[in-house]
Amino acid sequence: MLRYTLRRLAWLPLILFGVSMIAFIVLRTLPGQDPASAIAGQGATTEQIDRINRELGLKEPIFPVSLGGSAPFIETHRNSQYGKWIGELVRGDFGRTFNGKQPIREQFVRKAPASLQIVFMSFCVSIVVGVSFGIVSAVYRNGAMDYGARLFAVLSSSIPEFFLLALLIIIPAYLWNYSQPVGGYVPIYEDPLRNLRLFAPPALIIGVGGSAGLLRLTRTTMLEVLRSDYIRTANAKGLYKSTVILRHGLRNSATPILTAIGSAFVAIFGGSIIAERVLSIDGLGLWFFSSALIRDLPVVQFLTVYTAFVVVIVNLIVDLSYGWFDPRVRYN
Amino acid sequence: MAVAERGPIAMSEADRWELPRNKPWIVRMARPWLRNPLGLVGLAIVITFFALGIIGPYITPQDPRALDAHSRFFGPSMDHPFGTTKFGQDIFSRMLYGARVSMVFGLAAMVVGFLPGATLGIMSGYFGRWIDYAIQRSGEAWTAFPQLPILLTVSAAVGPGLKGPVIVIAIGAIFGGSRLLRAVALIERHKEYVLAARSTGASEARVLIFHVLPNIMPFILVGMSSVFAVAILAEAALSFLGLGLEQGTPGWGIDLAVGLKDGTEHPYLVIFPGIVISVMVLGFNLLGDTLRDILDPRLRGST
Repeated sequence: MLRYTLRRLAWLPLILFGVSMIAFIVLRTLPGQDPASAIAGQGATTEQIDRINRELGLKEPIFPVSLGGSAPFIETHRNSQYGKWIGELVRGDFGRTFNGKQPIREQFVRKAPASLQIVFMSFCVSIVVGVSFGIVSAVYRNGAMDYGARLFAVLSSSIPEFFLLALLIIIPAYLWNYSQPVGGYVPIYEDPLRNLRLFAPPALIIGVGGSAGLLRLTRTTMLEVLRSDYIRTANAKGLYKSTVILRHGLRNSATPILTAIGSAFVAIFGGSIIAERVLSIDGLGLWFFSSALIRDLPVVQFLTVYTAFVVVIVNLIVDLSYGWFDPRVRYN
Repeated sequence: MAVAERGPIAMSEADRWELPRNKPWIVRMARPWLRNPLGLVGLAIVITFFALGIIGPYITPQDPRALDAHSRFFGPSMDHPFGTTKFGQDIFSRMLYGARVSMVFGLAAMVVGFLPGATLGIMSGYFGRWIDYAIQRSGEAWTAFPQLPILLTVSAAVGPGLKGPVIVIAIGAIFGGSRLLRAVALIERHKEYVLAARSTGASEARVLIFHVLPNIMPFILVGMSSVFAVAILAEAALSFLGLGLEQGTPGWGIDLAVGLKDGTEHPYLVIFPGIVISVMVLGFNLLGDTLRDILDPRLRGST
């Protein structure tokens, strides 16, 4: 298990390296608005744009190695953009934003807690709602609860999250004169009530919205498991129904459900960006969003790699938890 | 089937006439639909969507862009079923008009993404080997990554507008389509009719196009349905976030975003665009689910 974990972790830098290269190619070579003129704003002179290009090294070659020139038709560049970026990264320097020249690392540390909280809370909601409703739906197959749960799954994959978040802002304000707080993050240890007033409603929406896939998968897996012989044996032994369903049924459905939990995380990660944007929560998602809008390439670059990092780690945790729930799983 | 088990001996004339006659094809096609009323609702919504996408801009009761200072923030009424915007524009007309953008976006995602993806999937499921491996692994990597950050990154690269979103949704549809049809093709290639067609000397291309393709057509429809659902959602979400359509253009997501600014006083500005988006996506989801249930009862209830 340890060896397996280490080997998987050894892949991490390689994956991040690949993702960072792809992000660099997408961000710096695709035809689009020139970042320097985007920074300079409208009506900037050519000199101003040239100066920004020079300061930020935007006209330097992108990769340290490129094709061209004379034989052997490979050129190396000492001051390439990617070389500089990755050189700083391995030394723990995440670079500076184009807009305001602030260190990305400081900004990241300041904005991460809000995002972590909303992702974590939504994730918990998602797991609880998805798995429990999935089980109920399977156990009472074709009953009222089952139809309710399936209807909910179809509806929640059709009603967009941004619509629900918009309703969250307007409906309580219109009907009950209660306004959902917007912006103004307070850490939960400083003022739990204010913190939860800001985070609990969107976390509920994102979590419930992201649970549809998990619910469907839990239902199908449980339906299959509940048909098997050992469930009949367990019932015949006279075990409590809850023991049969949870200890015998759920545990044997663990592997696909865990995979679906991993996918639910991906959905929630996207949803949290929308929530931060709609409710002006100053987290990583809003930062990602506003930086993409003003073409702040280093921030977008960093957050893309960060997203890949989170995805790889979550996948690793999911893979490792297979063995914890299902001792038959062997890692090698 | 019972006839086939008797062996290759030719049926007598009497046997042939005792076989139950098939109902007309239209009855056979309609029966599973009548058992799935929700699927019919989905079908009706989808037909409405395409009808609006084609003729929507010509049947708007009012000009969706016309500014009218005298009719700002009118609530829903007979003249303005969905109310009017801050600029006095009729929201109902804007919704009818906005179907066009969603439809074109969906069609683009389908033509650029899903159809090539489906072709790739059929080929890789049917022929297998390393190309299959490469497509499946890249597809897994793609779906492991959240879509919105990818959209943000591409939008940062190519600038605002629908160009970036189309690229990303199309790539997603390539992988989605290839995965769905690969699974189908894998099952299909071992079926007896393929063997039968081959044994008559048909070339691989002929088998694929004239025998396999008609048999998997319904699955292609399922895939198309879900591509449209995803595309409508994505266009609306990105326009809502300010990365898609420009402000002022009639579109479902962008109107919702603009309406949100005055939504606390005039909730209908948000509610109607939101309901329109939800109903349309729901239609495609219901249609896709029903098609899948009819085609393959084993897949019932799965994603």
